[in-house]
Amino acid sequence: MKDIILENVCKAYGGAQVVKNLNLTVSEGERLILLGPSGCGKSTTLRMIAGLEEITSGKLYMGEQLSNHVASGKRNVAMVFQNYALFPHMTVEENITYGLKVNKYPKTEIEQRLSDVLEMLELTALCKRKPKDLSGGQRQRVALARAIVKRSDFLLLDEPLSNLDAQLRQHARKELVKIHDKYRQTFVYVTHDQIEAMTVGDKIALMYEGSLKMVDTPKNVYHKPANVFTAKFIGSPSCNVASVNREENCLLFGAQRLALPECWMEQVKGRDRLYFGIRPEHIRLGNLPADGALIATIKYIEDYGNRMGVYFDVEDHEMIAVCDDNAPCPGQTVYFLPDFEKIHLFDYDTSDSIGYPSNLTRSDLNELVYQYKFA
Amino acid sequence: MNPDRKEYHQIGWHVLLCVIVLLLLFPIVFAVSNSLKTLNEAYQTVMSIIPHNPTLDNYLHVFKRLNFLKITLNTFFIALCVTVFKTVTSILAAYAFVSYDWKGKGILYFILISTIFIPFSVTMIPNYLTVSSLGLNDTLLGVILPQFADATGILLIRQSMKTIPKSILEVAGMENSSGLKTLRDVVIPLIKPAVISTGIIFFINSWNEYVWPVLVLKSRENYTLSLALQMYISSEGGTEFTIAMAVSVLTMFVPLTLYLIFQKYIISTFTASGIKG
Repeated sequence: MKDIILENVCKAYGGAQVVKNLNLTVSEGERLILLGPSGCGKSTTLRMIAGLEEITSGKLYMGEQLSNHVASGKRNVAMVFQNYALFPHMTVEENITYGLKVNKYPKTEIEQRLSDVLEMLELTALCKRKPKDLSGGQRQRVALARAIVKRSDFLLLDEPLSNLDAQLRQHARKELVKIHDKYRQTFVYVTHDQIEAMTVGDKIALMYEGSLKMVDTPKNVYHKPANVFTAKFIGSPSCNVASVNREENCLLFGAQRLALPECWMEQVKGRDRLYFGIRPEHIRLGNLPADGALIATIKYIEDYGNRMGVYFDVEDHEMIAVCDDNAPCPGQTVYFLPDFEKIHLFDYDTSDSIGYPSNLTRSDLNELVYQYKFA
Repeated sequence: MNPDRKEYHQIGWHVLLCVIVLLLLFPIVFAVSNSLKTLNEAYQTVMSIIPHNPTLDNYLHVFKRLNFLKITLNTFFIALCVTVFKTVTSILAAYAFVSYDWKGKGILYFILISTIFIPFSVTMIPNYLTVSSLGLNDTLLGVILPQFADATGILLIRQSMKTIPKSILEVAGMENSSGLKTLRDVVIPLIKPAVISTGIIFFINSWNEYVWPVLVLKSRENYTLSLALQMYISSEGGTEFTIAMAVSVLTMFVPLTLYLIFQKYIISTFTASGIKG
């Protein structure tokens, strides 16, 4: 089994603990994305797996072998660096085959592997060029070719697409997934870009301040965030989170009450104070009063081209909704109803999700919401 | 600044630089010119740049009276050995400072660099006594031995190595390349200009060195060019001023040629920017 297992892994620089008690398993052939804001410890974690940083405490297993003290060259890992780290004095061909030559592979095998990888990444015409004569996208492909040609069991990538423009990045991540599907190495990919994480990963490990916040499929990370941090980090614009009190089946937004559907009652029982979360794309705003709708005042509008970001206040809570078309005007009073299938409730003390009802279905109320639009 | 003023400004700089270049060139022109004069003419028209009756007598005299080939070979041998040893030790030491983390690295580097500021006169006597006790007096090895390593070289090469992105060395490590292999295949090719220019500086310094060889070398067959030159400007035979000029011109021939060949590396070392992968 070519799994990567981290058990209680910690990393400290002097007194500063940058990775705290990390427990994570990357199964053989799986694409795991380490996602998080700058300084959250994701690159440090990747570098510990690569053997470029020492592990302060805890255990790292790679392919069932305890690897804490195995030199990086002996870990059977290939890595793509953010700045590509190509050897500037070597040609594309020499860059790609350097590792194979160092490890004394037979000449015929080196040539075979080289021609395979050059063809796959469309680098054949560039093989005699030096890195300085290549564009950013070409360099990125050379770095990837150098990692792939090793045919190692573990492929590590440290923000490999961050230096590319948006269009190229989209193309490159598609190619990356295609190539990985061919070789299926155990794959760990560091990024702070959530779109990359959602599109490339089989699983996302979200980190914040050195700790894991959630490890799950991209779909669950988006639809069922385990805590307030995850809810807010994933999605753009960010998820609305408001601290509210509860009375009976109602959430109190100041003096206004939002009635929760019956199916949520099991979850909220015993909690008088909660965090209420709703993604901007799951909010409906209307200009006619509806049963149970909250009254809100529009503050200001952002035009994203294809959509509108509408900022509004419900009592003291500022929120944002995303509208497809006719947006209201600033200052206008509107009526707001959340899509109850899509709300998230978090414990007030721990910020962790209180879970989701098992019988969550579209309520009658929601039917009303879907009809609810600006004329 | 308007275009006219900018132009005047530039002309001003050019004039100043031309004056500096002329001042620097003058001793060389003076030496070449007087080496082509007879002693009498030189005494009469010492400042005149163009000789009236150019003659190669001084040069012929040098080749006839001095064992010039042997002296040049001695100088070359010493300079080459010193350059090779200093460059190799500088590269190895700089590499240890740049790519490995070990306890006391900072302190050791500080002490090492401090030795640059120790005057030669302080180390001269201990070095002389060491060389004597090893029985290496009046040998070329005696001149070479105390010059195996040089803190200035470590400083220059370390500075250059530090411009290599850490990730490039890490990639080499991940490819299972050993420290020495990485040094040979990756680091040295990337800092080639610094290695060459440091080598040239070592070579020229050693070529021109006078005090240390004069202490160690006694017999004329072991003399270096600087010592041969000294014979013509000291009380020993100091009246033969034009011959001294001929020896001077011959002495500077090798370092000047080396500089002209490698000047692009020397200039790039002192104007170097970072390395990108």
